[in-house]
Amino acid sequence: MATMTRENVVRVIEFLEQNRDRGGDVGLSDVMQLAEVMTGSLHEFLHAVQPAVTGELKAIAIEITRMKEEIVSLRANDMKSQRIPEAGRELDAIVESTESATHTIMTAAEEIMGADTSDAAAYQDLVNTKMIEIFEACAFQDITGQRISKVVSTLNYIDQRVTNFVEKLRIIENMEPELEETDEERRKRELILHGPQMAGEGVSQSDIDAMLGDSQDDIDKLFA
Amino acid sequence: MALDLQMPVLVVDDYKTMIRIIRNLLKQLGFEDIDDAADGTEALEKMKQRKYGLVISDWNMEPMTGYELLKQVRADASLSKTPFIMVTAESKTENVIAAKKAGVNNYIVKPFNAQTLKGKIEAVFAD
Repeated sequence: MATMTRENVVRVIEFLEQNRDRGGDVGLSDVMQLAEVMTGSLHEFLHAVQPAVTGELKAIAIEITRMKEEIVSLRANDMKSQRIPEAGRELDAIVESTESATHTIMTAAEEIMGADTSDAAAYQDLVNTKMIEIFEACAFQDITGQRISKVVSTLNYIDQRVTNFVEKLRIIENMEPELEETDEERRKRELILHGPQMAGEGVSQSDIDAMLGDSQDDIDKLFA
Repeated sequence: MALDLQMPVLVVDDYKTMIRIIRNLLKQLGFEDIDDAADGTEALEKMKQRKYGLVISDWNMEPMTGYELLKQVRADASLSKTPFIMVTAESKTENVIAAKKAGVNNYIVKPFNAQTLKGKIEAVFAD
């Protein structure tokens, strides 16, 4: 770190010694003179530290420019205005088409179950007609499969860009702030709402049957 | 307690298709008096107005879950003896244990078939 030069220190001391015996009798010119001496000292100090400060500011400016470039390459506006809403519409369409197909299939099955079987020929005609309706309704699987592929593609696109963004910004896990639990998350935790499990993750019906056959002591041991 | 096909059964699920599936399966098993509710709150109101012989409930519903419904039923002296079967996609060990501690009579994990439903209902009334 830069310090005052010997010459400036001497000037300040001389000034103070010359004015030591003047008590409160200090004029504007004295103050100006002292200010001039001090400014001279600061000028040299600033001159010494300026290259380092300038270098730091340049580095910060470069980092901000780089971050702006990364944010642009994230294409956040494209994600927000196009891809995510489109994925949402695809999922809505999937829900609608599966509901519609399920309704068609169940209605056909209910009509078969409730049909009059006394007239064998009429019953056979009805069953054939309803079976065709069921086959037709099952075509939803092809369309929903294509829609799901589009949603998966969008998720991959977002995942790729966010991953790149995190890597480029050198964000490390322990830098991420702890998130506060939302009301929805608290409700899920308190009411044990996990939703459906993936294959092999949940317990099977036979496991459940075994657990329900256990005594309370056996269950309590699971928590020990 | 004997299995009586004439007894009223309450099916609780927020997904209409699932209510329809369970209703049809119950009809196939011979049950005739089948009522339904879309969540725990509606189910509890119905249970206070009518005595059901069996409740078949989903777990994950809004605003009152099947788990909360089960606990409220068991806490109410006039309803506490009602047989209660949970039919749910919640298949974690802690869910099954919590349901058992709360007093569930049986627990069916979705997806299930008619044979499983039949077997669990029979098991509840065989106890």
